[in-house]
Amino acid sequence: MIGIIGKNLILLAFISSILAIVFYYLDAKQQKPLFEKLANGFFALKGVLMLVASGLLVHLIFTHQFQYYYVFNYTSLDLQSQYLAAAFYSGQEGSFMLWIVFSFFVGLGLMKWTSPVYRSPMLFFFSITQFFLLSMLLGVDVFGTTYGASPFRTLMEQMPQLPVWSVNPDFIPADGSGLNDLLRSPWIVIHPPVIFLGFAMMTIPYAFALAALWKRAYQNWIYPALPWALGANLCLLIAIFLGGYWAYETLSFGGYWAWDPVENASLVPWIVGMAGIHTMLVQRRSSSSKKASLIFAILAYVLVVYQTFLTRSGVLGEASVHSFVDLGLYNQLLVFMLTMIGMGVVLFVLRFKEMKDMHREDPVLSKEFMMFLGALILFLSGLVIILGTSSPIIGRLFVEFPTPPEMSFYNNWSIPFAILISIFSVVTQYLWWKKVNSAETLAEQLLYPTLVTAIVAIATIMIGEVRNPVYMLYILGVWFGVIGNGWVMVQILRKKPRMTGGTLTHVGFTIMLLGFMGAAFDRPMLDEDTVNYNQAVSRGEVLDKDGFPVIQPINMVKLKIDEPKFIDNRYWVTFMGGEVTEKNRPGESEYTVKFEDTKRNGRTFFLTPVMYPMVANSSGGSMNWTVDPEIKVGAFHDLYAYVAGSSIVERLTNNQNDNASEISTTTVDGEIQTRVIRVKRAGFLELDDYKVTFQDFEFMQESEYPENATIAVRAILNFETSSSPDSSITIKPEFAIIREGEENITWAPPVNLGETGIVVQFTNVNPQSEEIELRISGFKSVNEPEWVLLTVEKKPFVSVVWLGTFLLMIGFSVSIFRRWNDQVRRERNEKNRVKPDDENIAYE
Amino acid sequence: MKKSRLFIGIAFMVLFTSLVMYNFSSSIGTYVDFEQAEDREGYRSYVIGTWEAEMPHGFSMESKTFNFHMKDEQGNVRRVVFNNAKPANFEDADQLVVKGTMQNGVFYSDDMLVKCPSKYNDSQPVELTSAES
Repeated sequence: MIGIIGKNLILLAFISSILAIVFYYLDAKQQKPLFEKLANGFFALKGVLMLVASGLLVHLIFTHQFQYYYVFNYTSLDLQSQYLAAAFYSGQEGSFMLWIVFSFFVGLGLMKWTSPVYRSPMLFFFSITQFFLLSMLLGVDVFGTTYGASPFRTLMEQMPQLPVWSVNPDFIPADGSGLNDLLRSPWIVIHPPVIFLGFAMMTIPYAFALAALWKRAYQNWIYPALPWALGANLCLLIAIFLGGYWAYETLSFGGYWAWDPVENASLVPWIVGMAGIHTMLVQRRSSSSKKASLIFAILAYVLVVYQTFLTRSGVLGEASVHSFVDLGLYNQLLVFMLTMIGMGVVLFVLRFKEMKDMHREDPVLSKEFMMFLGALILFLSGLVIILGTSSPIIGRLFVEFPTPPEMSFYNNWSIPFAILISIFSVVTQYLWWKKVNSAETLAEQLLYPTLVTAIVAIATIMIGEVRNPVYMLYILGVWFGVIGNGWVMVQILRKKPRMTGGTLTHVGFTIMLLGFMGAAFDRPMLDEDTVNYNQAVSRGEVLDKDGFPVIQPINMVKLKIDEPKFIDNRYWVTFMGGEVTEKNRPGESEYTVKFEDTKRNGRTFFLTPVMYPMVANSSGGSMNWTVDPEIKVGAFHDLYAYVAGSSIVERLTNNQNDNASEISTTTVDGEIQTRVIRVKRAGFLELDDYKVTFQDFEFMQESEYPENATIAVRAILNFETSSSPDSSITIKPEFAIIREGEENITWAPPVNLGETGIVVQFTNVNPQSEEIELRISGFKSVNEPEWVLLTVEKKPFVSVVWLGTFLLMIGFSVSIFRRWNDQVRRERNEKNRVKPDDENIAYE
Repeated sequence: MKKSRLFIGIAFMVLFTSLVMYNFSSSIGTYVDFEQAEDREGYRSYVIGTWEAEMPHGFSMESKTFNFHMKDEQGNVRRVVFNNAKPANFEDADQLVVKGTMQNGVFYSDDMLVKCPSKYNDSQPVELTSAES
């Protein structure tokens, strides 16, 4: 029922988006208050309908109505409420809804704050984007073709071929299939909404640019568009940062950036948006770069749509770690993208001729031209990344089944771009803020920053033992960016602190670039034996048992408990012990590793990486171990540690079958003390020499009950040893829950296993699954000492990247605040017909 | 002045585009099967396939590698040596993409993509626990 309501709400929203488009068009043409009222009314109606529909979907999720496919597919009963809330946008359909809802709120802001010249035309284009987004959610059949995928479709509509429908058409699954363990992290709650807010805001410069072309008002659109463009870029930056941090800190991707298509897809609109912001600033100041501003504003949003197309149409296929789901929206997404491009191109071409006359030639050494070149460099770097990302499509020019490009493609191209951007940002800042008339005065101004740069860069190269000449150039160029921009920032801070936003973003950006250099120096930290082994491998001296040369180096260290190893010529590492903690997830084990830093007078610290099992659905419940790395954050380098394997995991993996599993092991001084196992009725488990079978349980007679017991059962256990198969021992440990006043107390007397010294306790029972828990101690066998396989990587300058990112975010925020105030003042001046004074005038 | 700037711009764009495209074409590869990878001995290849769960597999303590057998799309089965721990979601994957080089009939991989089953796939056998009515 709710599903049908939801579907119809979306349909009505879709229809009112069409009506909004029509009336905005009429109003843009004829400017009648009635049309505007109607258009705004339908725009608002659409938003309200979508809000109600979203509320319904959230309601379905929180009430676990698994007859709906979306609910079934993304949630389960055990999900905590924050993940249930996140489930709303975990799937494609829901994320489209979120995008639409955010766009609606942004659109309301536009309705209120945009000047009447642009209002209707831009809301016309804005509504067209909404129309396409809404069409993705329709789920309506027209002449045998389905348009869109409704979040409200039922399980039966999704999978009509399931045999269960013929037996029981009202079938409802008892539980949903749940959220992937890797995604159960607080980051999923925050990361997607920020992205979609950024996407929604990126629509504004696009709509403004098209409205400007339509209405031939090429100058004034940039004033209101600028704060929104900055806001969109800030959102994308935060989203990219959150994604990178998530990948680095939780998902064990090994780093914060991997040039994965999905990551690139949000990076490129950000870069092009940056280029657009810069040309808008040029245009704001001197009315040149009009065409470039228009092009970049259009392109930034087209790239958002292009990335949506790439990630959601299924074209990326094998290229990405992110699993993509083909909802059959390929054609709709393609039409969406082509329309967005088409509107931009057609309007631009129509107006091209009259814009040509406005062209003004700026001298080469002018802030306008330099800033324009800088924006162009940004744009070209974005172009290279989008080319690499589009390899599944563009690569077909060269090979039949193209793979993604090697990472070196992106890295190699990024280096010259980063150097150029650093240098241009400094030069432009000097031209912008100072009275520079000639190359000589510029050189004079830059003398001290350059000298300082030279000293700092040489020091960095020597301390970091950089040998690669390209890296040397990079360090020199990027340091110039940091120091030159910093120089300007200090001066502005003293005179006009309100205007530091721009220089602060430059300082942040170049510090971030400096931090990226560190990634080239990531290395695993190994002990001397492993280092020697790896050198022998690279010389081709190590042969495997078939006599072939081994070609893969080892990048982990095996640590036995309490046996320290000396790694990276600096740290003594000792494995102190591991245990099954089940802290965050079932079966989670945690390891304590001690590090002693010999370069810092033996200062010690501990890292506690974690491993946890994910039960694989497809292979009969076999265990799949996932790592959760632990990072020691440092100012100059992070230590990134994860456990690749351990004796605990090996034991748990071996002692695992459909009916029984070992839950945990306690060791003292490397010897096993206690083992906890769970066995279902008729299940068995092999523990060292023993095969333990849980034959059956029987309820105890009332006469045998301890006093006040509420449940009392006895398990019949059979122990066989492989050494003497005939001598099987049967014991019957007892378990009861005793009520003492308000409290329930477990009664589990230990039982000796004959003369073996093994003691068994029956500690818990689950009557539903007929599963019991046993605590067994006193194993005599001497085991191999506990061990872990530890990978520790040294990752220089990661904190520097974060520092740069934060400065960049602060800089953006300061700029947004300032541009917003500027815009408010400008409107007030226009109303009072005061000629605005230029507060950007250069100063000494 | 204006003409010359335009000319420099165009020349630069042509140069830039051809350089990028050349570099791009040489840094992408093509997906191959194990037999084709054998012919490319020493060069990096990408092979798509599925895990052969019945064949022996496991982590070798000696070489610290994860060893398993993979069947490519042509049905060739080869041993794959992955120089890291078993990746997450490995057993769940309906498709693997291994990157590395083929030597002596063994595929040495240093990078692996694990593609998990699409949640939207209509034909997937859904585990449906019975409903409590």
